[in-house]
Amino acid sequence: MFKRILIANRGEIALRIIRSAREMGMQSVAVYSEFDSNALHTRIADIAVPLGGQLPSESYLSIDKILQAAKDTGAEAIHPGYGFLAENAEFARRVEEAGLAWIGPPAESIIAMGDKIESRRIMSAAEVPVVPGLTDPVADFDSAIRAAEDIGYPIAIKASAGGGGKGIRIVQKPEDMEGAFRAASGEAVTAFGDGRLYLERYLDRPRHIEIQVLFDGDGNGVHLYERECSVQRRHQKLLEECPSIVVDEALRAEMGEVALRAGRAVGYVGAGTVEFLYSNGEFFFLEMNTRLQVEHPVTEMVTGIDLVREQLRIASGEPLGYSQADIPRNGWSIEVRINAEDPATGFLPSTGKIGNLRLPGGPWVRVDSGMFRGMEVGLNYDPMLAKLVVWAPTRDMAVARMIRALQELHVGGVRTGAPAALAVLNDERFLSGDFDTSILSTMDFGVTSEEEERLAAVAAAIHRRQLAKRSALGGSAGTREGWLKRSRNAVSDFSSAPIFEGEGA
Amino acid sequence: MKYFVTVNGREHEVVIDEHSDDLNVVVDGQTLDVSYEEVDSLGQVAMNVDGMAHAVSIEGDANTCHVVMAGYSYEIELEDERERAAHAAEGASSGGGVVKSVMPGVVLELLVEVGDEVAERGPLLILEAMKMQNEIDAQSASRVTAVHVAKGEAVSAGQKLVTLEPLDSAE
Repeated sequence: MFKRILIANRGEIALRIIRSAREMGMQSVAVYSEFDSNALHTRIADIAVPLGGQLPSESYLSIDKILQAAKDTGAEAIHPGYGFLAENAEFARRVEEAGLAWIGPPAESIIAMGDKIESRRIMSAAEVPVVPGLTDPVADFDSAIRAAEDIGYPIAIKASAGGGGKGIRIVQKPEDMEGAFRAASGEAVTAFGDGRLYLERYLDRPRHIEIQVLFDGDGNGVHLYERECSVQRRHQKLLEECPSIVVDEALRAEMGEVALRAGRAVGYVGAGTVEFLYSNGEFFFLEMNTRLQVEHPVTEMVTGIDLVREQLRIASGEPLGYSQADIPRNGWSIEVRINAEDPATGFLPSTGKIGNLRLPGGPWVRVDSGMFRGMEVGLNYDPMLAKLVVWAPTRDMAVARMIRALQELHVGGVRTGAPAALAVLNDERFLSGDFDTSILSTMDFGVTSEEEERLAAVAAAIHRRQLAKRSALGGSAGTREGWLKRSRNAVSDFSSAPIFEGEGA
Repeated sequence: MKYFVTVNGREHEVVIDEHSDDLNVVVDGQTLDVSYEEVDSLGQVAMNVDGMAHAVSIEGDANTCHVVMAGYSYEIELEDERERAAHAAEGASSGGGVVKSVMPGVVLELLVEVGDEVAERGPLLILEAMKMQNEIDAQSASRVTAVHVAKGEAVSAGQKLVTLEPLDSAE
């Protein structure tokens, strides 16, 4: 096992990795940008190495600087976290060329899964279902009809040059193909000056369900069940759960088997996630994330398996030491991402300095956070501040626990997406399980009850009176910061005003 | 003193009278028994209304503040009677409105120029912040009377972006 590892990341995930490493008796080397000199990961690691620079390209994305830091501190392995260099095959290769262990899959696996067309080809060959469709445009209406027979209805006709949903026609049955094809073709010419069309199976009300897998270096693999990630907007997940309410034992076993096949097809080693789109009882490969996922804690809560610990064990060459039948699955877990954004304004990013900070606690509540009082939330980095995770024996109890925990949380100085998560957790469709990836886009946020608004109005009016009283007492009296500033001014006045010397004498 | 308090877009009237240590609070005509104690200097408040306890977080100044209670967020604007009268006078003379940036970012695309007419929710510009592109829209049908930023310019929160005049009053 390693004695010291370097973590090429920041924020909550850097802390997450430091924590498992420390529990395993390993030292952690943090690296940090100029901006992060006071960050939590910089303070909590055993060794912290400044990379300098304001931009990610000068720090967390600088392969040369990170490798140098590993060399200087004698770290034996590098964990990339997620984001930044986590899915950068060149980094993986350079880490190994430097004689260090790479806590992630082989560079070849990253490359194979990183290419949309190539991964689709490999998956098809490995009998992993992909969304049926054509990669080449269809020539005319007749060949469209023939292709549609193979793909299966309903069919989505898409413009080759299109994007953003423009020029898409949904065809439910063969009789409708001719009209839809002509219309789509005409629309594509008008909109893009290119009438070429291709066909794909249309997935009605798709859900995003993914499978966690673990492989050791000897090719032993297990899956750690599914995560339901359909509560998302613009592919940004807001809330995840394990297990999924639509997955039964048979489907779970089948999806797990297929995910393991996907991993084996690219020679995968370590922890990875195979993402699927699920629709009407069918599921199709979307992509594989060749790294630890943000939402990995829900899997940990339900299986009791520390995924970072497993990553470190696998990277050091240990075998898994257990088989599929040994993986526990107990109860229900939900995660909410606490992002600096404002649901009331369409999730616009929110910046500021974190002042007031109240974190939830109590039974079965886990907070993976990089936040601290005084932290500047800027635009330099990802807006995710923390993850709130709960566990309970049943889904209903987990929902109630998450609502309770979100009500305890307060992050002052910035807006967060927490009110949106609360709205989801109170939404009938979410509670009954009848939802798909469009659920967030159909919800109205920033709606509050008039009764609660009155209470807020009272608090605001009294707050204003308190402010007025304080300023009547003399500027910023009553706040310690104000007092410090005035005393500092007084000292500087003193030193530059020698007249006091005479008075004092 | 009477306050006009707009909470998440809805206005409420709050009347507060203070008698020694007692607060007499009437909100929208309803009298409440209120106690209010600041817990720290960071904005945590222990508030009790008619016997019900509320953990309140509040940040802001005399005219705008942000309240969080039980996970829900309340954006608040306040005016007292005197300010309301003053603002009413200003509003009558100027009309229109200034669109300000709600966050720091970079102007990626300017979609309007002076003299353009925009529909309600019509796009004015694209602001890039936190690696995301955000479309800034007009709240109502308007004519652009001034553009305060250039393409590629970095803007701070609260900075003026575009000045609009309402279409109906201009015609």
